[in-house]
Amino acid sequence: MTATLNHPAKRSVTRTLDIPLNRVEGDLSIRVELDSGRVSEAWSSGTMYRGIENILLGRGPLDGLVITPRICGICSTAHLTAASKALDSISGIQPPPDAIRVRNLALMAELLQSDVRQTFLTFAADFTNGAYQRHPLHEEALRRYAPMKGETAIDVIRQTRKIVEIVAILGGQWPHSSYMVPGGVAGVPSLADLLQCQHLLAGYRAWYERRILGCSIDRWGEVRSGADLDNWLHECAAHRDSDLGFFIRFARQNGLDRIGGGHGNFISFGLLDLPPGTEVRSRNGSTTHLMGGGFARGAHITPFDPANVTEHVAHSWYVDYPAGRHPFEGETRPYATGEESQKYSWAKAPRYADLPAETGPLAEMVVSRNPLFADLLTSGPSVLTRQLARLVRPAELMPAMQQWLSEICPDGTFYDPASAITEGEGFGTVDAARGALGHWVRIEGGSIQRYQIITPTAWNGSPRDSGHVRGPWEEALIGTPVADPENPVEVGHVVRSFDPCLVCTVHALRGRCSLACRDL
Amino acid sequence: MAATLYWIQCGGCGGDTISLLGADSPDIVELLTLLDIEILWHPSISNNTHSQHQDLLERILAGRQNLDVLCVEGTIIRGPGGTGMYDAIAGRPKKDLVASLASQARFVVAVGTCASFGGIGADGAVEACGVQFLKWEKGGFLGAEFTARSGLPVVNLPGCPCHSDVIVSTLTALLGGQSIPLSKYNTPLIWYGLLVHQGCTRNEYHEYRVEDQGFGEKGCLFFHMGCHGPLAYGPCNKVLWNRRSSKTRVGVPCFGCTRPDFPQAYPFYYTRNIEGIPKQLPDGVDRAHYLAYKGMAAAAAPDRLKDRRTRV
Repeated sequence: MTATLNHPAKRSVTRTLDIPLNRVEGDLSIRVELDSGRVSEAWSSGTMYRGIENILLGRGPLDGLVITPRICGICSTAHLTAASKALDSISGIQPPPDAIRVRNLALMAELLQSDVRQTFLTFAADFTNGAYQRHPLHEEALRRYAPMKGETAIDVIRQTRKIVEIVAILGGQWPHSSYMVPGGVAGVPSLADLLQCQHLLAGYRAWYERRILGCSIDRWGEVRSGADLDNWLHECAAHRDSDLGFFIRFARQNGLDRIGGGHGNFISFGLLDLPPGTEVRSRNGSTTHLMGGGFARGAHITPFDPANVTEHVAHSWYVDYPAGRHPFEGETRPYATGEESQKYSWAKAPRYADLPAETGPLAEMVVSRNPLFADLLTSGPSVLTRQLARLVRPAELMPAMQQWLSEICPDGTFYDPASAITEGEGFGTVDAARGALGHWVRIEGGSIQRYQIITPTAWNGSPRDSGHVRGPWEEALIGTPVADPENPVEVGHVVRSFDPCLVCTVHALRGRCSLACRDL
Repeated sequence: MAATLYWIQCGGCGGDTISLLGADSPDIVELLTLLDIEILWHPSISNNTHSQHQDLLERILAGRQNLDVLCVEGTIIRGPGGTGMYDAIAGRPKKDLVASLASQARFVVAVGTCASFGGIGADGAVEACGVQFLKWEKGGFLGAEFTARSGLPVVNLPGCPCHSDVIVSTLTALLGGQSIPLSKYNTPLIWYGLLVHQGCTRNEYHEYRVEDQGFGEKGCLFFHMGCHGPLAYGPCNKVLWNRRSSKTRVGVPCFGCTRPDFPQAYPFYYTRNIEGIPKQLPDGVDRAHYLAYKGMAAAAAPDRLKDRRTRV
């Protein structure tokens, strides 16, 4: 870490430093300017280019099913889902209802794994940071979340590796299987397979209720407002001492409900397709998804329209084109200028109706009009609200999983033979662990001619667009107080509350999250 | 004294780390305790500050901090134009850090196919290669002559991802001073001396050449669906994934992800044929004999297989 004194004539205390923040999936570099101890400017830069989209060009029509899960070790099932839905749409085939259930169950197991691991192994590990050494909850935070040692951390490792066994039973392995195919899934689950999945899910649910929530999912479901949340927290020791209770207490006492706001625009592509005939009901009256997609600007919510998605490259290391392009017109032509131009990231800048938008569990809660989060958001988004949405999303998922497992007909129909895919254009959208993910594909003459991927972290961690508007977490950083520039834990809280996954930002990144506070 | 481990992630997806987090008996927490391993640094786990990390690197590179194991995950990105700047850390190519650390380590372990052979990106503009191999050819990033302080070359643990048992047991053997014989691709023969095909529940369908031409069936996937089970060395159907299953068991062809040429240059889910017989035959098998044997086997196939009544 280097520190240099500011110019003495300036009033603000300024210094320059590089502080890599690890524990993000991939390589990310954040540069912020500090003015009087607060972030006044922020730039998010992806520092790795893997070129996955271009690797796909000219390959076989189904090859996206094998290559794209390898984009990300932690959300390979989400990429597989998007890839197969894109091929479904090209072939015009609707997979059988039980194939949709199997796809959903695997994706949900991946979400259950990711939400809990990210919260406790990545986000809450910051609670053990030396910045909180004098805080009364610090010792307890260490006891719970110290990496590889904390009681919760160890428990999370042991439980999350169990829940992804569901993916292995249905799809052969996790991560990186390719069992979703256009027209359904490759496997035919037996009754024995489905019963094992039920047992694994029941075990995880019991653990999640006991350790994480400190109450039943049903009791948690009664929390429908900020006042309910306070009542829940004070109701009993089991609530206060659960990891959810501890998270809320620690976050409130340390001001995490007051930082990390952002643009207040939210996007969800829709969480989990509803199979025809299911008894699982949508949370927001959607006929297509468990939580229907949409775009929220403040309290104004409109249905998701894929035509409104574009990507800008004005500040990204790609050959320029004016304004934004729809992914069907998109291209990935790397153009590394270094720091001499306005370009500063390997991530492109996705926009919806030309606006930056935050995605992830909080966006899903907003767009699906979840009453608790609607109430909490009256004072704007924050680190606490964003992370809370992730931490309690499993409570939304597990009852639906149990229902879908009981609805599947063992040894039934899981695949509708698709005609050979030779020509066409299609896309697959899905809400992954970190939010809105889309694959846009064109196949011509039996091979892939275009493959454009927009990942959740591209939305959240995007650089500025052609109108120079900041990306969501760049914006969320503005105003964040940094008590100690040598240890800017607050910046880590804000960025990690978005659950960054930079390996996914396929045009780009991996590395540390380095923070450079530049001279003003 | 604790053995020390530094884990660096280069051009990859983090999947090998995710695989390791799924380890059981021992799980990763038990492994560290049992073997008395101190993780000096792992980008997904450590919560050292940046200055602590920089100080650590300085001490390792100056020889003041012992480094027993360097694990490299992800492909070595050398592009554009050999600069390595497609994968930079603090403005410097990460490949340079790999080279510096490798020169100090007692063992260098390439975890996953990308680090072993180049993997995803070896065909792309990023000019990627493995730590000591580029596909089938020895050399790669560190060069054919490289040996770690122990005298061993880079130990390759391919697989996309690498199975957690393989990572855990390799570390155990290396740190315990046990010898692990290597193949010519520097992969431990204990796990890469058997074919993915071995242990597949569809073996009987293979034996009698009862073939599938589409998804959702019980037959063998080798003849039409592009399965590399008889062509790829790896323990998938012996150790099983997540203690449960494997791709081939649920009707997904093996993509040969442990092979130095993964991802293959030709389309997945499709077997290239010469008159109905796969172009690539099981390792070491003579074509004429195979034709005769498979013809007879197909004729001998029992109805329970032809009717797909035998479960897999």
